Amino acid sequence: MADPKKPRPAFAPWDRRELPGAFDVEETARRVGHYKWVEMRLFEALGGWVATVPELDVKLRLGTHCYKHAWHAELWNKRLPELREMNTERLTVPPNDEFVAFMDAITEPEGPGQTLEKLVGVYRVLIPHKIAAYTYHLNNTSTITDAPTMRSLRFALGDEFDDWRDGEMLIQSLIVNEEDVQRAATHQARCEGLIVKAGGIAGPGSIGSVDVPTPQEVTA
Amino acid sequence: MKKILPPEELARDARFVRLSMEDRFNDRRGAGGTSGRTGPMKLTPDAPQAPDRARALMHGIFVGEIQALEGAGRTCWDFEVGPGADEVPFALKLDMARQCWDEARHCEISIKLSDWMGTELGEFAESTFLYEAACNPDPILRLTGVNRALEGLAIDVFNTMREFGQSAGDPVLEFCEDWMLADEVTHVKMGSDWLRRITENDPDRRERALEFQRIVDKLFSLGGFRGEGDDSPIRLARRFREMAGFTTEEVDEISDLSKQAGEEARARLAANA
Repeated sequence: MADPKKPRPAFAPWDRRELPGAFDVEETARRVGHYKWVEMRLFEALGGWVATVPELDVKLRLGTHCYKHAWHAELWNKRLPELREMNTERLTVPPNDEFVAFMDAITEPEGPGQTLEKLVGVYRVLIPHKIAAYTYHLNNTSTITDAPTMRSLRFALGDEFDDWRDGEMLIQSLIVNEEDVQRAATHQARCEGLIVKAGGIAGPGSIGSVDVPTPQEVTA
Repeated sequence: MKKILPPEELARDARFVRLSMEDRFNDRRGAGGTSGRTGPMKLTPDAPQAPDRARALMHGIFVGEIQALEGAGRTCWDFEVGPGADEVPFALKLDMARQCWDEARHCEISIKLSDWMGTELGEFAESTFLYEAACNPDPILRLTGVNRALEGLAIDVFNTMREFGQSAGDPVLEFCEDWMLADEVTHVKMGSDWLRRITENDPDRRERALEFQRIVDKLFSLGGFRGEGDDSPIRLARRFREMAGFTTEEVDEISDLSKQAGEEARARLAANA
C-alpha cells in the first residue's frame, strides 16, 4: 500500500472538476423554482388523468410516473432553501405566461378517447424539453460549488429517460393508422409551438443560446 | 381537466362490468346475505367453494386497487397547495403521489395473482364504492374516508388473505399479501397523521371527518362481513391498525360498528324472507 503520510493532491489526476459555472446562486434558485413548478403541474396532471384513461396499462404507468415527478418536485423544494430562498413558494412559479399557456394545453385533454393526446403532450413535448433543460443545467453549472443540484439533476434525468421511453412505447402502441398519426402530429405541433414561445421549461435560455455574437457586438 | 371527476366517468376498457351498490347489497348470494352460501362464512382452504370465493375476493381487491389509484391521483389534481379548507399542504400531495405508485403496484400484483388463480380481468362485477368516498370535496374528509376507513379495510382484507395463503400452502399469495399489507399500513398512517395535523386546531372539522369515517366504516363492514369472531370472513387486524395510528378505542368502535352492521343485515334478510 502507498505510504499514508505521503502528500497527495486534493484533486486526483482523474478528477477534472472545475470551479467556474454558468449560473450564480440567484440564477440557480430561479431555475430550480421553475423546475419545481413544472414537476408539480406534471405530477398533478398525471394523477388526475389516471381515472380518465381506459387503457389499463397506461393507467398503471401514469400512476407510477406521477410519483416520480412528485419526488422531483420534492427534491427541488428541498434545494431552494439551500440556495437562500427560505420562502420556497416565492420562486415556485412558471417562467412566463406563455409557459402557463403551454401547460394548459398539455393538461387540456380529458375524455377517455384522448389518451393519445395526453401522452403525446407529455412524452413527445414536455419530457424531451425537460431532459434538454436539465442536461443543459447539468453540463454548465459549477461542478464543485453546485454539486447538490447536479446530483438531483442526475436522479431526475434518470427517471425522465426511463419515462420518456415508457411513454413513447405506449404512444407507438396506440397509433394504428394514418388518422392516429395525424392526431398525434397535430397535438405535438400545437404543444411544441407553445413551448417555443415560452422559451422552454425555464423560459428563454432554458438550453442556453446558440447565437454567435456579431462583430459589432464583440467590439462594442 | 375539471376538478372532481364523478364515479360514472371512471374510464374502463370493455372487459369491465359495473354494478351499483344497491344491486350489490340486495344480492342475496353476496356479502350482505348468507342464504345462497353453504358452510361457514370464514374463508378457509377446505371451505365449500373456497377457490371461487378466493378468486372473487382477489378480483375485488384488484378493482379496489384501481379505484384507490384513481382516488389518490384525483387528490393530487383536485386540490391546490395552500392553507385554505379546500386546499392541502404540499407534503400531503406528495404522499398522495406516492400512494399512486403503491396502488399501481398493487394492481400489478393482484393482476398477476388473479391470473395465477385462473381469473380473467372483468370476470366479476365492479362497484365504484371506494372511488365514491374519494370524491368528497373536503380533502380531509376524503383522506379520512379513504385512507383510514377504506385503506383500513384493506389492512383487514390483506391480513386475512395472507393468513389464507399460509393455511392454503400458497407461499406466493402469502408473500404478496404481506408486501401489500406493509404498504396499506403506510397509507392508513398517512391518513391518521394528516387528520391529526390538519385538524389540530379545528375540532369541529376533525369530528366531521371522523363521522364520515364512521359512515364509510359501517357501510364497508359489508353487512357484518368483517369482525373479530373466529368465523368472520374478514378479520379485523388490530395489531396492524394500531401500527397505522388507530387507538384501541377506535378499533373497538369499528368492531362495534361491524357487529351492528351484521345485526342489521340479518334483520333485513329476515324481513325480506
